[in-house]
Amino acid sequence: MGEKEKREERGLSRRDFIKKSAVGLAGAGLATLSMDSLFQWNPALAANVSPPKFKLEKNPVINVLRWSGFVKSDEEVWNANTKKWEKETGGKVITEYLSWEDVRSKAAMEASVGAGHDIVLGWYDDPHLYPDKLVDVSDVATYLGKKYGGWYPVCEVYGKLYGTNKWIALPIGSAGICINYRVSWVKEVGYEKLPSDIEGFIKCCKKLKAKGHPTGFALGHAVGDANTWTHWWLWSFGGKAVEKDGKTIAINSKETIQALDAVRELYETMIEGVASWLDPHNNKAFLSGLISVTSNGNSIFYASRKRFPEINKDLMTMNFPVGPVGHPAELSMISQAFIFKHTQVPNAAKHYLTFMFEKPQYGKWESETWGYITQTLKDYYSLPAWKKDPRITPYRECVKRMLWNGYAGPLGPASAAAMSEYVIVDMFADVCVGGKSPKKAAADAEKKLRKFYH
Amino acid sequence: MKQKAWTKFLRFYLPLGLFLLFLLFPFYWMFATTFKSDAELYNLKLNPFLIHHWSLVNLKHLFYQTPFLRWLWNTFFVAITSTLISLSTSLLAAYGIQRIRFKGSSMMGIGIFFCYLVPPTILFIPLATMVFKLHLWDSLWALSLIYPTFLIPFCTWLLMGYFNSIPKELEECAMMDGASRMWIFWRVIIPLSLPGILSAGIFAFTLSWNEYLYALTFISTSLKKTVSVGLVTELVRGDIYHWGPLMAGALFGSVPVALVYSFFVEYYVAGITGALKE
Repeated sequence: MGEKEKREERGLSRRDFIKKSAVGLAGAGLATLSMDSLFQWNPALAANVSPPKFKLEKNPVINVLRWSGFVKSDEEVWNANTKKWEKETGGKVITEYLSWEDVRSKAAMEASVGAGHDIVLGWYDDPHLYPDKLVDVSDVATYLGKKYGGWYPVCEVYGKLYGTNKWIALPIGSAGICINYRVSWVKEVGYEKLPSDIEGFIKCCKKLKAKGHPTGFALGHAVGDANTWTHWWLWSFGGKAVEKDGKTIAINSKETIQALDAVRELYETMIEGVASWLDPHNNKAFLSGLISVTSNGNSIFYASRKRFPEINKDLMTMNFPVGPVGHPAELSMISQAFIFKHTQVPNAAKHYLTFMFEKPQYGKWESETWGYITQTLKDYYSLPAWKKDPRITPYRECVKRMLWNGYAGPLGPASAAAMSEYVIVDMFADVCVGGKSPKKAAADAEKKLRKFYH
Repeated sequence: MKQKAWTKFLRFYLPLGLFLLFLLFPFYWMFATTFKSDAELYNLKLNPFLIHHWSLVNLKHLFYQTPFLRWLWNTFFVAITSTLISLSTSLLAAYGIQRIRFKGSSMMGIGIFFCYLVPPTILFIPLATMVFKLHLWDSLWALSLIYPTFLIPFCTWLLMGYFNSIPKELEECAMMDGASRMWIFWRVIIPLSLPGILSAGIFAFTLSWNEYLYALTFISTSLKKTVSVGLVTELVRGDIYHWGPLMAGALFGSVPVALVYSFFVEYYVAGITGALKE
């Protein structure tokens, strides 16, 4: 393997980093990163990294709360890996699977009450809502980072308590989001593949619409789909919700207005009804052959493999096009594992999470989920699983290309509230469907954000 | 004569028909989706209101790949126990407030009703603390004991209204014959209040059957879940909704409630409308 390829696999070369830093990609969160943690990869060192020693409690029983497997194999492999840990340690793990939106409320309740599960696999900035309730997992994070090529920069933002080097959560993977499109229809309008820049992308979408193949992007309160593509669009034009001080609202800017002007063009190419779309709607529309382009996790690919072979044959995926800002600026859903302080078995919990991150377990998990979970540790970029099908390969780029919700401010109650109130999504919907001018929509979003950031 | 029939049709049957259509359409949709395959569900060229190729695949998924029958049993257990606890408490409370007329009883009646207006989302954190302290977490008894917190206020309020419609003279006659307060309550009030008790019971049963928030919060093990939580947990996976089995679950999950209503509908109406004729 050539040096260049190796660098590509690690996801961030020194030159890339300097470039990205220059355009402010890393923002406030990266201010907390140390250069050591970014470039600590050393194959010779990795081979000799010894895991932290955890003295397991006697007959530990760990209660885990996590989201239901998006794909069936996810739970199967997770459970098999868990059994392996039980066999090796004599411990016991009880895993509760919940629908992904319900995990957040249940975890918040347990944090508030101080009882319940020991480990939670939550979403986005969950751990930053109750950081004082969580066990410090810096030892595990440091070990894993050293052994597996380091964490992607955005993972450090999500995992570390803002402004410190203390890890309060371990980013376990991202339900990556990519563009999904119908190859034959794109060819029909004269393209080999969808353009990878936003300007070309809009042009192609217009041609598709003219040929009777509309696009479809959720503009309802879809936790995954709507949040991810609207943030991508905003950031790609240089817009952002808040400055890195976490106080100065930055949404009402010329970049945001530009993004909103451009999105109107994209909206003209969309199928009717997207304003009410939630997460499952674009899947259904795509699998029914109603739309030519959408953004999604790999569930469309996964579902079409067996149930809709005709669609599957004609499906291609790619990463989000790059906008005027000149570099990828995406949002994917990221899941974080964290341990509550109320646990009776902190050592066993840490040991269990370390075990689940190790290559024999994590690699299998990645492989069997067909790219549903994008790696957070750089070494897993080169897992053979990513080459199983060209349609899943782009998903391995998602974490590398993403920023964090609430960019460029810190993660915490304000970023969580802004997201759960769909401030960015509603701003786009107001312009596309609500008939507001971009200026008015940006001003309204600014007002809403002021409620959370002060 | 012909005109009278037309008038009746326009004033009665047409609105009734439209109302029924509006009311029953969700059930028809659940039924139709249950018996369609995925291929048919996603084929938008077909008429979505009709079943073109009947399929049992969704039922097979529901009954063989999820513990649906277990969830049904759990829901039944929780609904019955919480209804019994709520009814027995509410009967005593309503009778006490309405008939014994102690100092502050009317304020207490109003206070109990106000309790019903407190949203569960506010109550679930303090209730969670109690559940954990009582070691009831992940136990169906947690739900059986928590549901009465919102069932008792409404049932008490409903029964107070009903007791009010029973003439006091009946009790006074029994007292003159030497009957005790409890004897009167058991032998006079309860039999006369049966429609009210049944309507309160149906109300309590239905709310317990459909409850989601507490069932989600206090139960963890899959085999202990109720229908409303179990279906969402097992059949909604990220952005993939297994519509067929979900609709089958919703259909079969609503059958017990429909049965309860159909058996006791007359009592229910009498109970809600208040009345015992004096």
